[in-house]
Amino acid sequence: MKKFELLGIEINKVPLTQLLFNKTMLLAYVLLAIGVYGIYDVIVERYFIDAANAFDAGMHPGSVHVAEAMKEAIFGNGGEVKREEPWTIYIANYMYMIYSGSGIIFLVALAELFNVEIIKKTAAGFMTLGLAIVFGGLFTIALDLNILHMQWMFLTPNLGAGMWLMLPLYSVYIPFVVFEIYLLLTKKHDLVKKIAFGILILSVIIDIIEYYIQAKLFNMNTARHLWTTYPNLTLYFIISAFVASSGIMILYSMITYKKNFPVEFKQLSSFLVKIALACIILLAAYEATAFLFIDKDWANVILFGRFKYDFYIYMFFAIAVPFSLLLLSYIKENSSPFFMAVASISIIIGTYIGRLIFVYGGNAYPMSDRFGTGFEKYGEYSIAKSFIFTPPSINEIFVIVGSVGVVFMVYAILENFLDVSKIREH
Amino acid sequence: MNFAMALDYQNCINCKACEVACKEQNGVQLGADKQRIWVGQTEKSIFGLPFVNYYPSQCNHCLDAPCVDVCPTGASHFAEGGLVLVDQDKCILCKGCMEACPYDARFVDDKAVAVDKCTFCYDTRISKGETTTACQATCPTKVRLFGDLDDENSDLVKLLKKRKFFVLKESEGTVPKLFYLFPENEMFAINSIGSDTTIYTWENFKPILEKAKAKRGM
Repeated sequence: MKKFELLGIEINKVPLTQLLFNKTMLLAYVLLAIGVYGIYDVIVERYFIDAANAFDAGMHPGSVHVAEAMKEAIFGNGGEVKREEPWTIYIANYMYMIYSGSGIIFLVALAELFNVEIIKKTAAGFMTLGLAIVFGGLFTIALDLNILHMQWMFLTPNLGAGMWLMLPLYSVYIPFVVFEIYLLLTKKHDLVKKIAFGILILSVIIDIIEYYIQAKLFNMNTARHLWTTYPNLTLYFIISAFVASSGIMILYSMITYKKNFPVEFKQLSSFLVKIALACIILLAAYEATAFLFIDKDWANVILFGRFKYDFYIYMFFAIAVPFSLLLLSYIKENSSPFFMAVASISIIIGTYIGRLIFVYGGNAYPMSDRFGTGFEKYGEYSIAKSFIFTPPSINEIFVIVGSVGVVFMVYAILENFLDVSKIREH
Repeated sequence: MNFAMALDYQNCINCKACEVACKEQNGVQLGADKQRIWVGQTEKSIFGLPFVNYYPSQCNHCLDAPCVDVCPTGASHFAEGGLVLVDQDKCILCKGCMEACPYDARFVDDKAVAVDKCTFCYDTRISKGETTTACQATCPTKVRLFGDLDDENSDLVKLLKKRKFFVLKESEGTVPKLFYLFPENEMFAINSIGSDTTIYTWENFKPILEKAKAKRGM
């Protein structure tokens, strides 16, 4: 394929048809189409739902919109956001994607720092994948927020709020990762050699800061004791992200390198299996001890209440299955592709369930026991709830599917132009 | 000024006139889930005798409000009189304040696509010279009394000096400013107050208020 050079990077002159109609992009289109359908419904529900107040009812008694609003007020489901459960699957998906995407970037930076040769050769692909996953997470959170008021994030910032800190964090983080990828791709080897070590150290520091800010975001919600009593939340986020990231990296390397680069794949899989095993052991140790410290009301709901089966499933998929399969691969010193594929998919599913439990679990114990005499009823004809859980709507799930499409699309575009997955000697 | 409210909740008959008055006065979105103020209910029985507790509720306008800390744009802010208000134009709907509130006192106003909550009728009544909130003015059994904690001669402070009271979820450290008056009927008190609740006198609580004000620089 013809190439041209820009700032020391070789860029493919990809024909438009190849860029837009390759297998990955076609898959991305399907996922995005599902996402767009979800987005449409979310936007309609958020911005165009008929809502009225007493003034509207008094001033426009014959209005169809007021009638619709009255119908919604009486028979509707209370609008897009539930008072007792404000954060839902969007936040869980955002967490999952942002943490695992930056987990990949973090792991690659650490491996490069420790001079792991096979990761150095494949770093550009992994980092691009990590960046694409981060974009998937940002897509989800952008939809969750009222984007029409975002200018106030710049005009009247609350510098101490974890939510606001996301803005400068990702304003720095994303360009920094792009710069790291640039250094991996550029032919300016002298420049790279001079600054590589400093950049890697900076990368590790930025990654740690990122997880710290994420932990602060949850920790500031003082009423939700699951999040405030989770011991060393920053560390937990890093460990759990590493597990998810290692699963994604194994699956990615199988898809990308197994067929065309068997020798490199063997080295890579051997390394990734060890990393995944170590992270799974750490996560298992964390989950086994964390609930000794977590507020008993929340621990009860998760371990023995509504979420207990979800928690068992999380343990099964995120820890038990991958640990067994990867341990077998490790002991036999001949990584079975089937075992690895099952283990990596199991990790991805399990850690996703873990994120759902973390977000929904934080809201699971109702705030309504305000007088210490039991949970209050939310309405005259409702019953008092001892836990809160509303399953995500189909539209929310569609948006999540769309966010996966964003990941595929971002990665496919960069791969087409830059050959990021190519094995590079440094 | 430090606006607050005392609630003689023993008098609440669950007529919901306060909820209606609030919606009417403040243009709150219609709908059972869209309440700035509401009457919470718990149902229990002791030795087979059932009873219901009615808890008139709204935003506590906490002195150390976590919702203000988590708001990324300053939409949730402290206003005159220590009121916790929401500037809906600045709300990006991150819902962090709803997560931070230990009282479920906030909801999303679908008309404004922003978070909404009790304002103590500041914009619709208090700033225009009224001395009562809509919920207080309409209550047939005089559950609520709005006033200024900084004014030792206000009816509110006089009442708090006379009656014992408690606040909600004190352990959260938010220093709420809804003062629930300790019921005069002992059985009612036993049935309607959790055993961990601290009962205060004005003299006991004043230092807590002063400490929280100092922390916030009020």
